[in-house]
Amino acid sequence: MIEEHIRRNRRATVVVCLLMLVLLFGVIFALGFVLGFPPYLSLVVGLPLSLLYVLATYSFSVQSVLRAAQARPANPRNRQEKLFMYKVEEMAVAAGLPVPHAYVQDSSDINAFATGKKPEEAVICATTGALEKLDGEELEGVIGHEMSHIANRDVLLATVTVGVVGAIALISEILLRSLLWGSGRQRGKSAGVLVVGAIFFAILAPLFSRLVYLFMSRRREYLADANGALFTRNPEGLASALEKIRADLPDDPRGSQTVAPLYIANPFRRARRQSIWSTHPPLEERIRRLRSM
Amino acid sequence: MLGIILTGLVILLVIAIPIYYYNKIIRYENRIDNAWSQIDVQLKRRADLIPNLVESVKGYMKHEREVLENVTRARASLLQAETPQENIRADHQLTGALKTLFAVAENYPSLKANDNFLQLQDELSHTENKISYARQRYNDSVLAFNNAIETFPGRTMAGLMGKQERDMLQIPEEAREAPRISF
Repeated sequence: MIEEHIRRNRRATVVVCLLMLVLLFGVIFALGFVLGFPPYLSLVVGLPLSLLYVLATYSFSVQSVLRAAQARPANPRNRQEKLFMYKVEEMAVAAGLPVPHAYVQDSSDINAFATGKKPEEAVICATTGALEKLDGEELEGVIGHEMSHIANRDVLLATVTVGVVGAIALISEILLRSLLWGSGRQRGKSAGVLVVGAIFFAILAPLFSRLVYLFMSRRREYLADANGALFTRNPEGLASALEKIRADLPDDPRGSQTVAPLYIANPFRRARRQSIWSTHPPLEERIRRLRSM
Repeated sequence: MLGIILTGLVILLVIAIPIYYYNKIIRYENRIDNAWSQIDVQLKRRADLIPNLVESVKGYMKHEREVLENVTRARASLLQAETPQENIRADHQLTGALKTLFAVAENYPSLKANDNFLQLQDELSHTENKISYARQRYNDSVLAFNNAIETFPGRTMAGLMGKQERDMLQIPEEAREAPRISF
């Protein structure tokens, strides 16, 4: 059942966010401990600072994504692009959301992405390749997938988690340095074990948070697939679009790495097997899940 | 001490639960109304497009008076429809009539090459698709609303508020297969 898919993926997201917070708290406390701060002080200083860091990544704007993708607004004079705009509007009605801006990226690859932290300022962008090579139902499936990213506020979630991952990496770096330079004041006998532990933690926390982020990213893709199918009531449309995308994946991916994780299929990764380092689940598995709905 | 806290909690629950269900019912009801207004806007838009379509086709289809009359008639009954269900039924009649018209238009190559006609055709199927998605949303909202007011304790709250189950928008049986026009 589609609803069950959606519920499972939502739960996974909550778990991921909690894990992220635990990791962030962990590195903050560890650093405070090494510097000899009492725990409450690390919290008072550490949290606002990490929050600031996350906010700084948050301001990363819609415009910069569109620039990186070299996207332009869809041209209503061109029938193909006009029909794309129509489909975006139809999917917005299905989702009960404000109509996103339709953008087009001139590229022969089949791909699409959504961006915008709020539904009110959302953008759905499709490549000209997608408009040419996908039929009506397939294009609808792709737009439905993107519309669910907007409805689920995935862009916001991704931006914030990327910020947290960055903050954890930064704090761990400081932690590691202060450990190695031995600036700690609490050096008793038992401190030796703790220091070794802290070093391990400082090395593992950034790695782990990055993996957790990637896990979440893959979950959100499954969620968007299921949710998009709920909008169109036609999982086959998206499944067949993903099949076309798979057959069409470029041998020499061009374009911006910044936009890559946003696309409906990551053009830089055509791995067949599930990898813990990928932003997207394998296309085969996504198609299989869509067809079993 | 414990007694006071417990009493406080119970009072809080007694106040909070009805408020929660009251708001939930209102929220669901608003969603239905909002979905309906979406449909309504599109129905109006469709009705507005028809005269243009008839105008642009008339010159070409001199021998297909009946096809055009059917479209005009369906539009008139759409404009007269009052309840949501009547509206949807009339809209389906219109969709059927338009389908015939577009099928007949296939025999007129010069008409098919007419930009204005092509644009109207695109926009009419666009509004048709939007209506079917809005209807889907309407029915989903009705389902959520009905579930909320039929299960306990929403049921009690709905009784106090005088709310009754809503009907889903059904398309007439014979028209059920009418496909969404795809490009």
